[in-house]
Amino acid sequence: MAHDWQPDFEQLVDDHQSMVFSIALRMTGDRGLAEEIAQDVFLELDKHLAKIESPDHACFWLRRVTMSRSADALRRRRVRSTDLWVEFEEHHGAPLEIRDSPLGARLEALLATLPEAQRAALVLRYQEDLTPEEIAATLAEPVATVKSHLQRGLKLLRAKATPHLQEYIRNKKEYIRGV
Amino acid sequence: MKYRIFAFVLAAAALAATALAQNSPLPLPPPVEKELAARASNVTEVTLGKNMLAFAAKFMNGKDKDEAGVRQLIEGLDGIYVREYSFDKEGEFSMEEIDKLRQYFETSEWSPLVREREKKNTESTDVMVKLVNGESHGMFILTVEPKELTIVLILGPIRMDQLGELKGIGGLGALGGIEKGVKIKAKKGDNE
Amino acid sequence: MDEFEQELRQAFVRRPAPPSLKRKLMARRAEKRQTRHRHTHIQLWQRLAASLVLVALLGGAAQWVRRDREERRQGEAARQQVLTALRITGHALNQMNTQLAAHDRTEQR
Repeated sequence: MAHDWQPDFEQLVDDHQSMVFSIALRMTGDRGLAEEIAQDVFLELDKHLAKIESPDHACFWLRRVTMSRSADALRRRRVRSTDLWVEFEEHHGAPLEIRDSPLGARLEALLATLPEAQRAALVLRYQEDLTPEEIAATLAEPVATVKSHLQRGLKLLRAKATPHLQEYIRNKKEYIRGV
Repeated sequence: MKYRIFAFVLAAAALAATALAQNSPLPLPPPVEKELAARASNVTEVTLGKNMLAFAAKFMNGKDKDEAGVRQLIEGLDGIYVREYSFDKEGEFSMEEIDKLRQYFETSEWSPLVREREKKNTESTDVMVKLVNGESHGMFILTVEPKELTIVLILGPIRMDQLGELKGIGGLGALGGIEKGVKIKAKKGDNE
Repeated sequence: MDEFEQELRQAFVRRPAPPSLKRKLMARRAEKRQTRHRHTHIQLWQRLAASLVLVALLGGAAQWVRRDREERRQGEAARQQVLTALRITGHALNQMNTQLAAHDRTEQR
């Protein structure tokens, strides 16, 4: 297939800055750090722009590099889960529907308490909607490993979230009953 | 005052060095050589000063016995001056010209060793040595044949037998009996 | 995907990037390009200087090789001249021998 698609840097920034920022934010739990990581990722993209062959390739590349940079940042910063909880309590430009869901906020906060590898798998699965095979390609890990991370991460998250979930379900039922 | 003396000494040394450099022991070619060369059908002229001889010695093949001998011979010399003129026919040069040549080289420091003249033809041989404190410090050979002239001037410590030892180098093979042939001879009517 | 997973999907929807992100990014990008341009200039000059030094060195080495070759040529020429001179000397001495021998024969008669 002819390489007739020419990458436009600014366009790519517009198309993918939210994705990059969100991945970095969910991985690090630090808004300022996430913004820094996002900038670094795009500047890296600028250097390698000539090698980007298609819009899908750009997307794949950005996810991969963001994950990598986030992991590096975590190693440097050693962010603790309690700090992340405080961060997620604040509503910084979050869409209304999220802000209005205490469960959602809680789940995000709980995500930060998971081991990095499971966190990464869950972010790519539920934020980016990637299949386990696509996650494996992005993280350069075996599919079996990714599936294991997804399973364990989900289990842990579910267990941590259960009291909140139960409360959420109870509140929802009450809401429905009340309507 | 000290500096003046020092400057004077320096200047004197510089002058002496210049003078030494300019005073090569080899003579300048006599004007008659130019005339002879103009008429000759074949001319070989070799002039090698002390420095050039030392330079050439470096390139002698030390592994070759003869060349090693040559190296030893030339290393101590002050100069070699050789001329060989060949003519197509007899009578291309006169005895007056030969006399001019001989007189040019025969300065007071030179002692005649051989003076051979053939009356029938224009053949002659002159050999002179330059003696310094009884030792040979130069050799002059002038041979004249009907169609060939050879001038050889070697300056520096040289002995005939040394030349004789150098057999097998480009025609030097017949030098074995040189010492025997060297005699001081003076013939009637040859003191021109 | 069960309800919990659906909740996760909703919770993990992408957050919009802060408006300052693009602005800061483009500013950094422009600055990097300027610096890169400056570095390229410096590199070019450094390369030029290095090339000149290399040319000088190579030129020097080439000159040395040429000089050495020339010296060898001159040395060989000088050697040949010495051998020629000695050949002629030998010839002259032979001549002298011949003449002296002829004279001796004449005297003996």
